[in-house]
Amino acid sequence: MTEAPEGSWFQRAVFYEVLVRGFFDSNNDGTGDIRGITERLDHIQWLGADCIWLLPFFQSPLRDGGYDISDFYSILPEYGDLADVVELVEECHRRGLRIIADLVMNHTSDAHAWFQESRQDRTNPKADWYVWSDEDTRYPDARIIFVDTERSNWSWDPVREQFYWHRFFSHQPDLNYDNPEVQQAMLDVVRFWLDVGLDGFRLDAVPYLYERDGSNGENLTETHDFLKRLRKEIDGSHPGTVMLAEANQWPADVVDYYGDGDECHMCFHFPLMPRMFMAVRREQRYPITEILAQTPEIPEGCQWGIFLRNHDELTLEMVTDDERDYMYSEYARDPRMKRNIGIGRRLAPLVDNNRAVAELLHALLFSLPGSPVLYYGDEIGMGDNIYLGDRDGVRTPMQWTPDRNAGFSKSDFAQLYLPPLMDPVYGYQAVNVEAMQRDPGSFLHWMQRVLQVRRQHGDVLGLGSLEILSAENPSVLAFLRQLGDRIMLCVNNLSRFAQPVELHLARLAGKVPVELFGRVPFPPIGDLPYLLTLGGHGFYWFELVDSQSARNQ
Amino acid sequence: MIDVPALLPALPEWLPRQRWYSGQAEPTSLTIVDQEIRGDDFPVLVRLLLAADGFTYQVLVGVRSRDEHPEFLRGRDQAFIADIATTRGDAIAYDAVLDPELALVILDAVAPHEKAERARLMGAEQSNSSIVYDERIILKLFRRVQRGHNPEVEVTEALARQGFTSVAEPLATQQVGEYDLAILQPFLAGATEGWALALTSLRDLFGMHDTSSIPIITLDAPPPPTDPGQAGGDFAGEAARLGAMTGGMHVALGDAFGRERADSGSWAASIAKQVDALEPGDVDPRGAQAILDQLVGLDPGAAIRVHGDYHLGQVLRTDAGWFVLDFEGEPARPLEERRRASSPLKDVAGMLRSFHYASAVARTERDEGALEGLAAAWENRNRQAFMRGYMRAAGPGSILPPDPECVGAVLTAFELEKAVYELGYERAFRPEWAHIPLSALRRLTEAS
Repeated sequence: MTEAPEGSWFQRAVFYEVLVRGFFDSNNDGTGDIRGITERLDHIQWLGADCIWLLPFFQSPLRDGGYDISDFYSILPEYGDLADVVELVEECHRRGLRIIADLVMNHTSDAHAWFQESRQDRTNPKADWYVWSDEDTRYPDARIIFVDTERSNWSWDPVREQFYWHRFFSHQPDLNYDNPEVQQAMLDVVRFWLDVGLDGFRLDAVPYLYERDGSNGENLTETHDFLKRLRKEIDGSHPGTVMLAEANQWPADVVDYYGDGDECHMCFHFPLMPRMFMAVRREQRYPITEILAQTPEIPEGCQWGIFLRNHDELTLEMVTDDERDYMYSEYARDPRMKRNIGIGRRLAPLVDNNRAVAELLHALLFSLPGSPVLYYGDEIGMGDNIYLGDRDGVRTPMQWTPDRNAGFSKSDFAQLYLPPLMDPVYGYQAVNVEAMQRDPGSFLHWMQRVLQVRRQHGDVLGLGSLEILSAENPSVLAFLRQLGDRIMLCVNNLSRFAQPVELHLARLAGKVPVELFGRVPFPPIGDLPYLLTLGGHGFYWFELVDSQSARNQ
Repeated sequence: MIDVPALLPALPEWLPRQRWYSGQAEPTSLTIVDQEIRGDDFPVLVRLLLAADGFTYQVLVGVRSRDEHPEFLRGRDQAFIADIATTRGDAIAYDAVLDPELALVILDAVAPHEKAERARLMGAEQSNSSIVYDERIILKLFRRVQRGHNPEVEVTEALARQGFTSVAEPLATQQVGEYDLAILQPFLAGATEGWALALTSLRDLFGMHDTSSIPIITLDAPPPPTDPGQAGGDFAGEAARLGAMTGGMHVALGDAFGRERADSGSWAASIAKQVDALEPGDVDPRGAQAILDQLVGLDPGAAIRVHGDYHLGQVLRTDAGWFVLDFEGEPARPLEERRRASSPLKDVAGMLRSFHYASAVARTERDEGALEGLAAAWENRNRQAFMRGYMRAAGPGSILPPDPECVGAVLTAFELEKAVYELGYERAFRPEWAHIPLSALRRLTEAS
């Protein structure tokens, strides 16, 4: 018998990212809301996700998609109220789902009462809650992140007649974490929402909390110290909570955010994502194996968050210039798709609506180390509308039915926050949950099935080690996942052509690979190289079992 | 327990069946230069150095009881040497590199500190056999040995000493007398040959094109790209990195073995001799002469120690970039010649010819003439990318001709030489591929 593996829920979980505005409109005002999510939990639960990640729902002037929070304690009225959130959380927990939310620690909206007070003069009680200066020359080494719109990290405030510091948009002043009152205020925010019942936070833009002379203002020791303090407080008061950091850095730097297992529980693995796409385009595994080779081990009890697409763009900040040029030329042939330094497209259009590629990419996402994060709508292969500005192209309404407004809302069409997709390929009449539910061969059913299989092997896939296997065929990516005596063999064909591969598995001689979707036993592994053939963009998930148990199946 | 001379009578018949044997027929004379026996019970390892008709071979003989019928010999008739009698009873003698158990004994003889559990034989090369242990280290056994430092050992050690990181640094070597017998290196797990990657890229490119004569009827489907840079499997990034690695290798070789004054006249004379041996009509002789005339008149840069047999099959793509393999040079040539300094552009020419081979072979696989233009575009794009990476890393002046225009002239001359060599080889062994160097020769000489 195998011992019950340790590890926390989030190490095995599949996350499902929801845009409150875009998921379901419960009161028919044209905008999705919290109650709408509660009403559609059936879908998320049936699909097989374990944890919902809510994009920001706080009070906000919405000049940055809600990442410009003007009150941490109230809900954006069009989304509902605190009671709605409480109801959603309770309903999730009743179903065994967990739920986390976006939290912006680094800055607030300039409409936040804290900033309005702070800007009044240089002596008010919150005068030191933001980073003020008479000069706009301090911290010259801090790069400007939104190069398209911002010229400086300093902006002039005519009221206080000083410059204030902002790493993002000028309407998002950075909080001053050197002030203990600010630290306490943010800890209070965190505690409030954990008391409401949230299971954790996705911490937005964590590397930038502090500023120091002579540094680029990223990944400072002080920032790590504060995150450790936060971790300690929530471990004490709300054990089982997850802190998922958005630190858009190279993996070797990101691992610092795990501390010694005493900082963040999870961090996003950013460079893996563009490289999964690149590997399929190039029909060779090196884009993936290269980045995995550069990914350090992480402390026990921690986990990577991995994803194919999310609400932002394909993040290219951290790839080399060569790779950035490559991603542009391959995936963004239309210059309108370029935004900031990423690309705003959904998964299906990115892969030319090729279902085999979409399946292969998800098979990789679900079998590589890390907890996968899905983006709402990708489970039905939704498209995008690049003619909507900013990031709105990938934030169109969820397509529930072929009825009016995609079944998302019963409001007037003109009232919708964004028009649903209506083109003949990705439009809601062709692509919607209802139709795909009825079609057992649909991509949605495939997703549900693959998540079922992943759940059955959640221990190995969530906690197991990774070993890339040698293969002379560069188009094949084969690897072992192992936890104790449980071993999975995953073999992926990155090429659209059929491919053979010989794997050197003699050390596992006697084991029988059992294919996990059909429980079909394959010939046992012997001393000779193990030959497999794969169809174009095909993949196998095997469990390696002792020959005895294979016969008994 | 084993009478080694008793093995000798079986060997003359066995040797010619081995890939690494130089002669065409059974050796007329066979003498033991050196011998070592490991183990006093089955399986026993007998290592022999045999002199046969002017060549010296390392033969590793395994001996096991005749009753064993080991699995690893099944279907490997060419590995069986003889039935012999031992003090422990009747036994069979066979090529020991196939025996996973004796492979561990072989490793122990080279590197007693390395512990391994599992061995597998990699494909046999012309002059050596390689055994991989635990997918972690690889032992290359030289089968055809010569007096003096084996170039593989010599160059790999020197490059590693220079801090050049794209070779697998030697972990141990084995010498007996003046003979280098083996080199142990880290195994580059997960690596694939450049040749396989290049074909992957070409198959992707060709696969985008529908070459049927009936057009697809669509309103506005975008036509498939004719620029290989637009194809998903574009190889140019890899080619540029490969070029940069090659440039770094040449700089390190120049530092390790020194730079000599090159004599372009003697290079031209040597190439001219090879061109003269061609059949009439293979090249435009005036074009060939023009290439060589240009070579004679210019400053060709330094002569350095080179790889000597450089092509896509000698480079490996790993998770840590490109690695280079196999500095043995052309094993049929004498050591002296293989170690002679030459132009680094000779290696470059070898790689550029390899790009042509890859594009031609991939096109032949599909047997579609319509792809010729695409194949040429692929070759051209990757040549340029390779040269961009190479020139940046090697830098003009230090080992290359000071005048960048001369680089092209020297390169063309060595491409001519390489294609001439290829044509001879293909006509002798693979006539169906002779059209590849032939088309290159025509392209080179007609353009001049």
